[in-house]
Amino acid sequence: MRKTRTDPRNPTLGEKLRRLLISQEGVLFLIMLVSVLFLSSRTDKFLTVDNLLQQGRFMTEIGLIAIPMTYIIITGGIDLSVGSILGLTAIVLGWTWQELGFPLELAIITGILSGTVAGFINGLFIVRVGVPPLIMTLATLALYRGLAEGISEARSARGYPEWFFQLGQGEFLGIPTQLWLLIVAVIIFGIILARTRLGRALYAIGNNETGARFSGLTVNRHLLFIYAFSGFMSAVAGYIFVSRVSTTRSDMGTGIELDVIAAVVLGGTSIFGGTGSIPGTIIGVVLIQLLKNGLTLSGVTSDATIVVIGSVLIFAILVNNFIQSRGDES
Amino acid sequence: MTDSLLELRGIDKHFPGVHALKDAQFDVRRGEVHALIGENGAGKSTLIKIVSGVYRPDGGEIRLAGAPVAFNNPREAHSAGIATIYQELGLYPELSVAENIFMGHAPTKKRLGLETIDWERMEAGAEALLADLNIRNLDVGAKVGALNVGNRQRVEIAKALSLNARILIMDEPTAALTESDVEQLFGIVRLLRERGVSIIYISHRLSEVFELADRVTVLRDGEYIGTHDVADTSEAELISMMVGRRIENLFPKQAAQIGDVVLEARNLNRPPLTRDISFTVRAGEIVGLAGLVGSGRSEAAQVIFGVLSAESGEIRLNGEPVKITRPSEAVDYGIGYVPEDRGHQGLIREMTIRENTSMAVLESVSNYSFVNRAKERALANDAIRQLSIRATGSDQIANKLSGGNQQKVVVSKWLASNPKLLIMDEPTRGIDVGAKAEIHRLMSRLAAEDGLAILMISSELPEILAMSDRILVMREGRLVGEFSRAEATQEVIAHAMMGASATANSVGETL
Repeated sequence: MRKTRTDPRNPTLGEKLRRLLISQEGVLFLIMLVSVLFLSSRTDKFLTVDNLLQQGRFMTEIGLIAIPMTYIIITGGIDLSVGSILGLTAIVLGWTWQELGFPLELAIITGILSGTVAGFINGLFIVRVGVPPLIMTLATLALYRGLAEGISEARSARGYPEWFFQLGQGEFLGIPTQLWLLIVAVIIFGIILARTRLGRALYAIGNNETGARFSGLTVNRHLLFIYAFSGFMSAVAGYIFVSRVSTTRSDMGTGIELDVIAAVVLGGTSIFGGTGSIPGTIIGVVLIQLLKNGLTLSGVTSDATIVVIGSVLIFAILVNNFIQSRGDES
Repeated sequence: MTDSLLELRGIDKHFPGVHALKDAQFDVRRGEVHALIGENGAGKSTLIKIVSGVYRPDGGEIRLAGAPVAFNNPREAHSAGIATIYQELGLYPELSVAENIFMGHAPTKKRLGLETIDWERMEAGAEALLADLNIRNLDVGAKVGALNVGNRQRVEIAKALSLNARILIMDEPTAALTESDVEQLFGIVRLLRERGVSIIYISHRLSEVFELADRVTVLRDGEYIGTHDVADTSEAELISMMVGRRIENLFPKQAAQIGDVVLEARNLNRPPLTRDISFTVRAGEIVGLAGLVGSGRSEAAQVIFGVLSAESGEIRLNGEPVKITRPSEAVDYGIGYVPEDRGHQGLIREMTIRENTSMAVLESVSNYSFVNRAKERALANDAIRQLSIRATGSDQIANKLSGGNQQKVVVSKWLASNPKLLIMDEPTRGIDVGAKAEIHRLMSRLAAEDGLAILMISSELPEILAMSDRILVMREGRLVGEFSRAEATQEVIAHAMMGASATANSVGETL
C-alpha cells in the first residue's frame, strides 16, 4: 500500500498539501499569515477579537462587490462603475424615503433595484453595442455619480429609524451583522463559480470567448447577468454603507472600485481573464484590510501604508507568475 | 538561364510539423510576368516570403543578377529592389496618398536648421509616379482610407516604384477588385513589363495567367512541378500539374445507407460570400463542399450554424423549418460544427480535455446546474478511448496535445451532443497522416453506422473525392456545381472551383 511515486489521480496527503501550498491561494495565505504575525508583534492593539471584528465590518462592502468583480474579471471584463452604483443606490434610497415619502422598506428595495438596473445597462451596452467593458463602465462611473449628485442636490438624508442600523452597526451572535451576509455570500457564490455550469461558462468565456460561442454557450446572456449581478451587489453594499454610517451622501463609495480590483487581482484572478477564484479574492480582501489597519495601528502614516500595500500587490503577482511559469513547464 | 534577374535553387523550408518547401526552384527574367500557381498549401506564399525577406530558407541558393544574396529581413529585400504588393494591403489609411507613397523616404529640406518634410516636392513626386503609371484621376492629398480597393492598390504599386523596385511581387492582386479595376491593373502590369520591371504574379485564376503571364511555374505540396511558357501550355495541363498528386493513404470509405433529408438549405443569402445557396444533406451521407479559400464555404457553414445570420432564405431540419440566430440554437437543434480554426474557434485550449469534451453538453452532465465531474470524466474517458486520443488523462490541458489529438477533442465535443448533422470545416488540416486516417475512419463509421449526416468542407481534393458521397462546389459565394461520387475527378472539381470551364473563361465571368 505504500506509494513511492505520486499518481496524479490519487494524490497522497503530502502531495495534496504540497499542491495547496504552491497554489495561488496557498501563497497568499502564507503572505497573510506572515503579515499578521509581523503586525501583531508591532502593536498589541492589532490582534484582538474586537479589532478584528471591527475590520470585518469595514471590509464587508469591498468584499461583497469583489464577488461579482471576480466573475467579471474572469470573463476578461472589468466594472469600474461599482463605486458610483453604490453611491447612486444610497442616494435613491435616501431620496425616495425622505423626499418622496416611500416607506423605508420600499425605499431600500427601490435603491437596490436601481443599482441592479444600472449594472444591467452596463451589460446591455457591452453585449449588444459591443462597447468595451473598460470604456462603458468608465463612462457610467462618471454618469451614475453625476446622477447621484443631481438627485441629492448636495443634501444628505439622515434620521433613519433604529431598526435600519441593525445591518450596518448591529451584531448577531457576537459578530457584526453584515459580516454574516458576506460569509454566506462568499460560500454561495464561491460554490457557484467553482461547481456550476455558470461558473464553467465564465471560465470558458474568459479563456476564449469565440470558442465558447462556437460551443453553443449563451455568452451574451452570461455577460448580461454578471454585470447586472455586479450592480446588485454594489447596491447591497450601498445599503450596508448607509446603514453603517447613518447618513446618505452622494460621494459614497468614491474610489472603492480600485480597492475592489486590487483585492481581486491580489487574490490571483488574471486581469486577462480565464483564471481566478472566490477564496483567492476573499484572502485578497482580508489581506488588504489587515495591512491597512495593522500598519495604521503600528503608527505607520497612511502614505506609507499605501506604499506597503502596493508593494505586497506587486510581490504577490510576481510569486504567482513564478508559480505559473513553473506549472507550465511541468 | 543567364538572363535571369532572380534565381532560386534547391530552396528548403521547414516549419514545426510541416515541410513547406522541398528543393523548390524558381526564376524570373528581366521584364517578364511570371505566374506562380498551386493549390492552397502548395508553398507559394512561403516561396514569395523567402524572396521578399520575410523568411530565411533552411537550405538553397538565391541569386540576384547572378550574385548570391541572403535577405535577413524585408528591408534588405526592399533595398535590393524587390517589393511586394500583399493581399491585405500594407498602407496607412489615415495618411495621404503622397505620404503613403513616400513613407520612410520622404524628400526633405532644411527649414530653420531642421530637417523637415518637403511637402511640395513630395506631392509633385507622387503625382509624377502616378502619371508614370497612367493614373491621372487620383488626388495625392486624399486620405488612403477614403479610396476604393483598386485605387489603394495603385498607391501601393506607386510606392513600390518610388523605391525603384526591379521585381514586383503581386499576391492575388485581383482577389478584391471589381472588373474595371482588374482591367486597369492589367494595363499597369503590361506597362511595367515594357519598362523592364519583372513581375511575380500569384493567382488562383487561370484565365488571368493566360491573359497576362509570359511563363508559369506550378508548385504542389511544397515541391517544384514545372515551368512552362504560357504560349505552350493549356488550362487542362496546368490543372493536372496542380492536382495530380498520388492519393495518399486515405481510409477507404464505407458504403452507407443513405436515408432521409436531414438538412435542407433553401436560397440562403448573406452577400457577398453566401449567395442563393440551396442544397441538402441526408442521413448517412457525407457531402463534400469544395472551393478555393475565400469562395464562401465556411461562411455558408457558419450561416447554418448561426454564427452569421442569413439575410434571407430558409433552413429546414428533418423537414421542419427552423430559425437559427446563434450557435446555441443550432446546438439545440442537433447541429455540431467542427470549425476551421481549431485553436480559436474549436477548443478552449487553456482548459482540460474533460472541460472541452463536455462544453456543448454541460446540461446533460449536470445535476441541477451543478456540474457532475464524475459524469464529465466518464464522458471524456469514453472519448479518449473511442477516438484513441493520446493524452495523459482527461485532466490534461488541451493545449498540450498534438494537433491531431486536439482535433479529436473538438470532434468528441460534438459527438457527445449526439448531433443529427455534423459540419466539419477542414477536419484534417495541419494534422499528421496517422491522425488524418483515424478521423476519416471515424467520419465514415459515423455516417455508415449511426446514420449521421456530415457536411465536410475541405481544400484537399483527394480528401473530398475519397470521403464524399456527393460533392458540391462553391465559387465566389455561389454553388457552381454538384457531382456524384461516380462522376467526380480531381480535374472536374478543380475546373469547377476555378471557373475554368470552356464557357467561363473570361475575367469578367469569375468576378
